[in-house]
Parts: sequence; C-alpha cells; structure tokens
Amino acid sequence: MSMSYSFRLAFQSIIRDKWVNLLAVLTIAAGLLFTAVTVLTVFNVNLITREIPKKFSVNVYLKENLQKQEIDNITATIKKEPSVENIKFIPKEDAWKELKSSLKNTEYILEGLNENPLPDTLEIKLKKDSINPDAVKKISTMLKQIKGVSEIEYGEKFLSSIYSLSLGIKTIGLTLIIIMSAGTLFVCYSTVKILFYRKNREIETYKFLGATKWFIRFPFLIEGATIGLCGGFLGLLGLLILYYFVLLKVGSTFPIFSSFVFPLNMSYLLPATGFVLGVIGAVIAIGRIRY
Amino acid sequence: MITFENVSKFYDNQTALRKISFSVERGEMAFITGPSGSGKTTMLKLIYMAEKADEGRINVNDMELSQLRESDVPVLRKNIGIVFQDFRLLDNINVFENVAIALRIRGVDEREVKSKVFDALKLVSLRHKTDSYPTALSGGEQQRVAIARAIVSEPVIILADEPTGNVDPDTSAGIIRTFKEINARGTTILLATHNRELFKNSGKRVLKLDFGNFAGEEIG
Ligand SMILES: Nc1ncnc2c1ncn2[C@@H]1O[C@H](COP(=O)(O)OP(=O)(O)OP(=O)(O)O)[C@@H](O)[C@H]1O
Ligand SMILES: [Mg+2]
Repeated sequence: MSMSYSFRLAFQSIIRDKWVNLLAVLTIAAGLLFTAVTVLTVFNVNLITREIPKKFSVNVYLKENLQKQEIDNITATIKKEPSVENIKFIPKEDAWKELKSSLKNTEYILEGLNENPLPDTLEIKLKKDSINPDAVKKISTMLKQIKGVSEIEYGEKFLSSIYSLSLGIKTIGLTLIIIMSAGTLFVCYSTVKILFYRKNREIETYKFLGATKWFIRFPFLIEGATIGLCGGFLGLLGLLILYYFVLLKVGSTFPIFSSFVFPLNMSYLLPATGFVLGVIGAVIAIGRIRY
Repeated sequence: MITFENVSKFYDNQTALRKISFSVERGEMAFITGPSGSGKTTMLKLIYMAEKADEGRINVNDMELSQLRESDVPVLRKNIGIVFQDFRLLDNINVFENVAIALRIRGVDEREVKSKVFDALKLVSLRHKTDSYPTALSGGEQQRVAIARAIVSEPVIILADEPTGNVDPDTSAGIIRTFKEINARGTTILLATHNRELFKNSGKRVLKLDFGNFAGEEIG
C-alpha cells in the first residue's frame, strides 16, 4: 500500500465533502476552545488557592503567666502533631509593639490601657495538605485541650469559603471538560461515520477489488486526524485572540484579570488533543471492517 | 482452478443455485449462460466471496473457500480480476484512476502504474478518455473501463459478468477477441452471459443454468 496514495485519497475526499468537514472543524474548534477556557480558569483558580497555605496560620493564645518551661512543653507537644509544619513563638511584648505600630496615628485607641492586654501567642503553620476545613477544625479542637492554652483562632469562615469555592470550580470545570471532550469526540465520530456511510458502496467496491482493511481505513484515519488537527489549530487561534485582545484589555481596567496566567508553552496541547480526538473518532466510526 | 461441488445458495427463502457442480481448468476460458435470474451473477459472487455458499464446496486457485480466514479474503481477491455486471466504477475519480486502483491495491510500483493503465485502456480503445469521469461516459464506455480495470493487474483469474451487455455487436466481438488473447497467455477466464452469440462457434465449454438448476453443459 502506498502512503502517498492514501493521503491523496483522504485530501480529495476532504475537498469533496468540504462543507461537512468545515462544519466539523468549526464545531471541534468551538469545543476545544471552550474546554481550554475552562481548563485555564481551573488552572488559575488553583494557582490562587495554592498561595493560601503560605498566608494561613492557626494562632494559639496562651494563658497568662506561664513559665518558660511550660511554654516549651506546649511547643513540643504541638510539634509532635504530623500536620504541623512549624511553630513560631510571639511574646506578648512583640505583639504589643506590632499592634502599636500598626495603629501609628490612631494610638489614642489604646489610651487608658497601661498594661499590655495581649497574650503570648504560638503561630502555627500547617502542612499544605492539612489545610482544609475539616483537618483544621480537628487540630484546633486538639490544641484547645492542651494545658496552658486559652484560645485558638484562625480564619474559619475565610478558609471554608475559599476552600469550597475552589472545590466548586474544580468540580464544575472537570465536569465541563469531560462533557466537552466527549462532545468533540462525538463530532469527529459522526463526521467520519457520515462520510463512511456515504462511501459505503465505494468501500464495498474496494473490498471486492482486493483492498486490505488498512488500505480502506487509512484514508479515513487521515481525514479524521486532519479534521481534528484543523479544529485544534482554529481553537488555539480563538484562544490567543481571546487572551490578547479581550483579557488583556479587560485586565487594564480590572486588575484581577491581569494576573491571569496563560501557559503559552502548553499551546501545542490544543492541536494535539484535536488530532487524538479526530483519530479516535475515526477509529470508532469505521469500526470493524468485515469481508 | 475453479471447482464447484454440489453448491447451493439461498437468498432468504429463494433458491438462487441448487446443487451445482462445475469446474474450470487452469488456463481455460468457459462460459455460464442462462436466462435472467438463473443465478449467473450469484455463481461469480460465490467465487470472489461476495456471498457465501450455503451448501457444497468451492475451491478457487487451491483455496478452500469455506475454510478461508477473513484476512485471506483480500489475498484471494487479488488473484481475481472482476468485471461487475453493474461496473462499480468510482464516480469521483477519472478513468485513469479507476483503472489504476486495481494496481494500487496490489501495491504496484507507482512508476509502472502509468504505462500499465495506458496499455489496458488501449486494449479497450479508450486511451483518449483517460481524463474523463465515469459519469461523462456512455454505458458501453463505462463497461470497457470496468474491463480495463479487471485486466490491468494481469490476474490469474478473470470473472466477467455480462461484459458486453452495453455494447454494439462489433465492439462486443472485439471484447471477446481481447479476452481470448488474454486467455491464450494463460489467464483463466469465466464469463457469464445470456448472449449466445458470444460463445457460438468458440469451441469453449458452456455451463447452462435454469432457475438456479444445472441445465447441461455444451461446447460453444
Ligand atoms: N441479494 C439478493 N437478495 C435476494 N435475492 C437475490 C439477491 N441477489 C440475487 N437474488 C435472486 O437470486 C436469483 C439469481 O440472481 P442472479 O443475479 O444470480 O441472476 P442472473 O443470472 O445474474 O440474472 P441476470 O441475467 O438478470 O443478471 C434471482 O432470482 C434474484 O432475484
Ligand atoms: Mg447477473
């Protein structure tokens, strides 16, 4: 079997059925574009939520008048906890200075407070994978029971809302990605299937003349791959336009969008996905060839 | 080369062939005749396995068809050149490409394709129609393209189903002459026709069918 002949057959057929194929290319481009936008959104939300652990800490307020030995004991106990990354002791004097400096011009608020009302504090940073509402709640209950601890404080509301937001976007995103990929696959499948039905008699003639299965299949695979690849490139073009002309313009007014990251070195993934979906669609559409 | 042993073929409830025994020797040219619907096309289809026999045995080129694996079917068919009763030309490619298909399927070197196709088209007097598309040809011309496609790959067996059904008597005589020449070079040929003129005085064996039944054998 000559490869160049298969390619020629495939391209002749693509030109002959140009309208069906153009429609398929556009649909695939739209599907891949939408999927890519979803992936990028999820990717960016993920980036932002991944920054949270660096800022997130649990504050353990200690009772008054603890001996240094007692504080060391508490620190050691907490350190044993596997989810704890590190502990920082903030003496109440430091906390007091900090508070004062942060209130610079409004120091009068503190007037009348001759004594430092702040407690000694242990600032705990947790390991990344322990920063979710359940795990934090569990550890804070545990901390509360340690002798010498008066109170636990962390951004409970903040943590749980960020957490469920990112979880929600990930779930919706993943669902959309699956639906869109299935849709794109289906478009490739039905396009090749239509072409295949249309050429039923032609294919039968090829079989009667002694063509092997691969001789028959190959042009259809090339067609599917080409349609998928074209769809992928068109989708990429759409994505670039969307990024450079829309997002960056909007970003100059709404700074949130300007931090949106677009991994350019991953852009080959769009045509590559189109190619793979096209080939898979064709393989499914051709199915088993029988003699 | 081709042997039928008590072969029967039923379509749904209808009998197309009943207990047919017949054989064509290597290098022989033979005819199948009979009225319309007598089973001529069915017999040829059984040989190239477009249909499977319901009873009996068929042997083609030392291959027992009932035992052939699916992957061997193309191998069998590459030994056979077929002129289909309904031509089966591909409308979207020109005459040259229609004939060249037979060579491409057999993996013939691209450099040889051109000269072989031109030679075959010359044999059926269609050298001047190389670039035409099948839809722009007369019925007789289409039939001759089909013949060119069947002979171009120089197969060991040629099956021709009513190959002169659409041409005038002179052209018809020319086609039969061409087949005889090819046969003289050693190719086994089985030709189905209801036109007695084709085998009259040919000295070749003729199998007669009648409603799927064996109705005798004669020398034309
Ligand atoms: N695919 C099919 N399904 C059902 N019946 C069929 C089929 N093909 C052929 N037949 C029947 O089988 C019988 C033999 O048909 P066949 O085509 O072999 O005849 P034929 O001798 O070639 O006729 P003709 O000279 O008209 O070409 C006919 O009665 C026909 O109706
Ligand atoms: Mg017939």
